[in-house]
This record gives sequence, structure tokens and C-alpha cells, in this order.
Amino acid sequence: MAQNTCPVQSTLQYLSERIDSGVLTDPRVRRICESIRMLVEEISLGEAGDGHMPAIDELMAEFETINPNETAVKTRQALNQAFTEHREMFVSHIESRNCPTHDCGVIAPSPCQMACPAGIDVPTYLALIAEGKDAEAIAVIREDNPLPWVCGLVCTRPCEMMCVRGRIDTPISIKFLKAFAAERALSDRQYKNPEPAPPNGKKVCVVGAGPGGLSCAYYLALMGYAVNVIESLPFAGGMLMVGIPRYRLPREVIDREVAMIEDLGVKISFNTRFGMDVTYEQMIEQGTDAFFIAIGAHKAWDMGIKGETDFPRVIEAIAFLKNVALGDRHAPGKRVVIIGGGNVAIDAARTSLRLGAEKVTIAYRRSREQMPADIEEVEQAEEEGIEFAFLTIPTEIRGDGDVITGLACNKAELIAKKGTDRLAPVPILGKDFVIPADAVISAIGQYVDDSGMTAFDKIRWTRRGTIEVNHASMETSMPGVFAAGDAVSGPATVIEAIGGGKRAADAIHRYLNHIPQPRMPKIPVRRHKRPMIEMTASEKMRLTRPSMSMLNVDRRRTTFQQVELGYDEEAVRKEARRCLRCDVCRRCGKCVEVCRDKMGIDALHLGYLDFDHPVKTDFRLTSEKCITCGACAANCENNAMVIEERDGKRMLKLCGTILNEQDIQHCEACGAKLPSAQYMAFISDKTADVTKKSDQRLLCNHCQRKLSARIHVSTRPVKNQ
Amino acid sequence: MVFRRGSRVEVFQASSDEAWEPYMNDFIGAHGVVTDPDTSINDPDDLIEVSLQGKGTHRLPQDCLRVLDDRQGEPS
Repeated sequence: MAQNTCPVQSTLQYLSERIDSGVLTDPRVRRICESIRMLVEEISLGEAGDGHMPAIDELMAEFETINPNETAVKTRQALNQAFTEHREMFVSHIESRNCPTHDCGVIAPSPCQMACPAGIDVPTYLALIAEGKDAEAIAVIREDNPLPWVCGLVCTRPCEMMCVRGRIDTPISIKFLKAFAAERALSDRQYKNPEPAPPNGKKVCVVGAGPGGLSCAYYLALMGYAVNVIESLPFAGGMLMVGIPRYRLPREVIDREVAMIEDLGVKISFNTRFGMDVTYEQMIEQGTDAFFIAIGAHKAWDMGIKGETDFPRVIEAIAFLKNVALGDRHAPGKRVVIIGGGNVAIDAARTSLRLGAEKVTIAYRRSREQMPADIEEVEQAEEEGIEFAFLTIPTEIRGDGDVITGLACNKAELIAKKGTDRLAPVPILGKDFVIPADAVISAIGQYVDDSGMTAFDKIRWTRRGTIEVNHASMETSMPGVFAAGDAVSGPATVIEAIGGGKRAADAIHRYLNHIPQPRMPKIPVRRHKRPMIEMTASEKMRLTRPSMSMLNVDRRRTTFQQVELGYDEEAVRKEARRCLRCDVCRRCGKCVEVCRDKMGIDALHLGYLDFDHPVKTDFRLTSEKCITCGACAANCENNAMVIEERDGKRMLKLCGTILNEQDIQHCEACGAKLPSAQYMAFISDKTADVTKKSDQRLLCNHCQRKLSARIHVSTRPVKNQ
Repeated sequence: MVFRRGSRVEVFQASSDEAWEPYMNDFIGAHGVVTDPDTSINDPDDLIEVSLQGKGTHRLPQDCLRVLDDRQGEPS
């Protein structure tokens, strides 16, 4: 992996070397450097506050006034360079208490939090859910994502892809735990908005009330901005509402969370098309200080096949799903063929089935293995009776009059093209066939509809037809205009849009307050650090991801009722306890190395530590070999591995999991605590050559020495020469 | 190169795509997992979502990525 050194850590090391080597002979220079070292160390430990950088600046200014020797000049220059070139990283460490390079070990980020495009502090909210504190968990989530319930049902969950527990057995069910906590918090009337800042008199116009627009509006409203959201649909949610069917994401879920955002004072103008019903000039006249564009990607690509424009029942999936969301409940046809292999194709197919289509077929030009749709969605579609025609290339829509009779297709094979290992579907000559159909739905991708954007004439567009932005700040090339969501990324995920909206809100705030924009995208913020939950190694290993209860298939085929019924409370609490707490253990592997290489015991079976080459992990095996020597705990910088004595037991714990537990022994003579019997035996074996093994008595070193001395004096008295 | 959800990948070079920004130079050498391939598997012009270890989740051009052995990531 990339080995980038953290500038905070390298500055700390540099300062320590200079101070410890004694080359800084001037007492004032030495005092300044020691003070700076202390401040930098606190930054690297995540203990710094807003005053740290100004304090460093003051010390550096004082440094400038001193007329020191050559060595001190070099030191000053080096420090100046570090604080100037890498100021962002220092500030980022202070603000986020996260060090993405892992060099500042104590504040190394957890993979799940780093993987989340919105940067949600996953370990913290999982710990809160495990403790039964659902409302507090939701408050933590909403610091980075204003739509936790929505995401709990439809997020593509990159966090779970990076979950370290997945290297042991299966990832934590992060997505659904979030949905459970949100539902429970709402049910308990504990789902509350944070207190917004007082109004600052500035206005921002948000174009589009999808996840990106809502997210930006939420964070701007919290900062005291007056936000006016322009939305062409009669409701908020954008693609959440018109792109995702209700059996996956009930409308009430979106409505509840949008209402929470509106409660902050965000005004949404529905049925209003930007550029037509309201113009850029009008918004400027009303005193708008900045614009945020989150118009999504709502236009469908043409298939480019014969007959595509000849029949009324050739439908774009995105328009079909939208009409259903708007209340159309007519089946597109009896025999429906959907063309495409993504999640939209699956959504269109399952929706057609629910509307009464008798036979629904998905025609995809590649193999099942290469379908980009979520595997869970594909499996659920199969359970409901959707058929799949793989390696099928549509060539023509055939019909009689304006009624479709079938979709002519070629059977394809996957062939590698020259110079690439990309397998391309190529038609097999003579293998033509027709899929009988009376409706064809195309789901082959979407692009950004730029109509209404003419006023933003200084915006640059990419060759993909998306808005070009600087991804660190979400700024477009037009001053005061920001953008995020599918309009920037192309058709992407809900959580990416939310993350982009949040970043844009921060960038708009900076823009309107003349604060320079960041050079790098911000790294996630560690919101809290929850205490770890104690459990035995066997319990930690035995806990398994619960299976999701599903609506029965008959009901699924006929209604838009939510398909995933969710976990019960007991399963949720257990699942949250399965988290390995990677916000504490950064998987540096020092414990494993010291146990295996230095002590020669090899008790820690923690194979999940290596990202690229994980091997078998079993927390239960540690107790077989562990002698509770404490070498692992002594070498753990993050206090993830600890030795704890309680209730007459000495325990080795890794992030709360008890890997080994032994009775504490006491000295027979003085009653002092002794190491474990295994450890004493280990030491006896190691020192057998130089010290005679004692008898079976349990004695501390002090008493053992006294005993040896008594024996020595009484049995071998020193004779006077 | 075909990228699928769950594929382990490496950012092995800077991309020639306009979407590549200077801060991404820090990504070169990073390993990660494809979390959202593009819907048409894989149109070289589309960006795909990749979670990079310690670098966050980003939409990256495909010409900067190569697939590592998928089996490497399987727990034994």
C-alpha cells in the first residue's frame, strides 16, 4: 500500500531528534522547540484544540526574533517548511482526530469510517447501539448524514466491504443496524435535530431536493443559513422517491427524515423547475449568496436499436419507476422484458411483477457473474420469479401496429478484445431468437439533464456530461456555484450524494466567510470514543450475523410492502457487539510479533490483521498458549491490548474481548501478587541454566531471594580466612 | 480490465482522465476494494467507486486501477 509519511508525525520525530541530540544549545531556542514539540505531540495524539495552531504560530514568530546559531536556523527553516506546506494536515488532525496514514497510531482511522463517503463514525454508533442507546447513535450518525433511516435501508454500504470482521467471518450488518436505531429513535420520540446556529443573514439556493441537496441544506441550516430548495417534483427525495421502489424504501421513511430537515427552517419550493418557474436572476434579486446544484441524472440513454421509437410500450426504466412513484399502478404489460443489468433493471423488473405482469424477463448482454446489480437484489428477484436471459443482445423491437410482439435478440459470447482483458459480448452468428413481450423497459443507464442550467454559463462540463468540480471543495468553475451528487459523479450511490452535499455545505460556508478552501478532501471526524464492551473470546467468535427476515413471496409479488422485515432487538444488540472496534486496534501487528518472535509463545491467532492476505483468526485459541506475560499489552500503543486484574483474575483483553483469564496467585510467604503459574514456569525454564529451579512453593522474587540467602548462610557459612 | 463489486484493486498509476486531480497522486500504490462498479461493466469512460485502505472512498477512472488476485482477500 501507499507509504506516505504523516507530516505531523515526521515533524514530531524531527523535533525530538533535534532536542534529544543536544544540538540546540541556545536555551531560548531549546525552550521554544520543546514547547512546539509538546503541542505537536498533542496534535498527533488527537488531544489538540483550536488554540494549538495559533500557539505554534506564536512560538514560531518568537523563534524568528532570536538570532541564533546555524543549527538553530536550520531547525527554524525546517519547522517553517513543515508548518507552511502541511498546515492542512495539522489542522485536519486537530479537527478530525483522525490520521489517515496510520502514522499517528492512537488516532488511526477505522476502515469502515474511512470507507464511508459521508465519513460516518461507524464504531461509535455501533457501540452506542450495542449499549441500547439508539437515539445517541442517531445523533452521532446525523453529524455526518442527515438521512440515517434512508441509508439504513438502501445504502450500498462500502463500510461493510471494508469491515475487518469480514476477514474473520462476515462483515457487521452496519446498514441495517442504522435503520433499526433510526426507527427506534423515531418511535421513542428521541430522534431530534441539533440546535442550529442563529441566522447569519445569508441565503443559499439549493437546486434539487435529492439526497445531495437535502444533505447540503441540512448542514447549511445548522450553520445558520437561510436555505431555499428548488424542486421540480411535488415531493422531496429526488431519486430516493422516484428511483427506488417502495418495497425497498417506503415513502414514509423519506417523508419523516425530510420533515426533520424542514423543521430546521429549510424551505422547499415543490413543483418548481429551476430555469423556468424560477430563474437565476430572480434568485440573485432575492439576495441569494451562493448556489448548490444537485439535479441528479434523470435522463435515460437510448438503446439504439430498431423499433425503439415506434411503440408506446417501449419505456425508460427511470420514467417507469417515477410514474409508479407518482401513483401509476398499471402494469406495463403482461410479458415484460427489461434490458440492462444494474440495480435499476432489477427495480423495474420487480416493480413490473408487483403491478401484475405475468412474466418478467431481464435481458442482459453479459453473464450473471458480471451483473453490476447487488447480489441480494438479484437473489430476491429470482425468488420472486423474475427470469434472466444472460448473454443476450437485443437487436430489434418487433410488433404489429403499435403493439409490441417481441424483442429480437442475438445470443452472445464473451470474447477478450485485443490489448485488454475486458471481455466483450459478441453476437454468435445464427443464434437469433425472440423473447415474446408486449412491453420493453430499457435500463441501460442515465445521464444529467442540463436543461434549466443555462444561467450557470461559466460552469464547465466534463466529457461525460457531468458538472466539473474540484472534489476537495465541490466548487464549480463559476464563483459561488457548487455542485454534488449524480450531476457530478454520474449515476452513483445515495451515500456519495450525501457525502458530496455535506462537503459542499462546508465549502459554501468557507466561500461566504472568505476562508480558503481545502487542498485535499477532508478526512472523516472521530466523533467520540466509546468504552469497549467486555465479552469472552468464545462469545465474540460465536456471534454470527443474523439472517434477515423477509416478507413471504406471495405478498412480495403482489404488494409494495417492505420486503426486508428487519432484525429483532436482541439480534441487533448482539450484532453490534460483534464489532471489533477497529477505531481502537489499528491492526499494526506488534502484539502478534512480540508474542511470536520475542517471547516465542505464538499465542495470538489474529490473522485478520493483514488486509491483503488475511489468514484464519480464532480468539479462542489464545488462552491455550498465553502465559499473560503482558508483552503484547506493553507494546500496544493504542491500549487495545490490555492486562487487567479484577476479582482475583488476571485477564488479557483485546478491545474488550477476554482472550485469556487466569487466577491471580499470591506469594505463600508475604501474600504479594504473583505472575501466572504459566509465566513463572516460562521464566524458570528460561533461567534454568543460571538459577536452580525452586521447589513447588509459590514465592515472590523477594521471598525467594530471602530463602536462598537463608539456605546459603545456614548451610554454607562464610569462613574467616 | 473488468471490475466487479468486491474486487481487490491497486491504484498503480496516475490516470490520464480529466477526473484525476492532484491530490489523487497520494493514492498511487494504495490497495482497496471496488464498492460500486459502473452499471455497464465496465465502460472505460465511466468512473467506478473504490474504497481505498486509509484513503477513503472515491470515484476513480479505471485506467489507474488494476485488479489484484481476488483470492488474496479470502479468509482461509
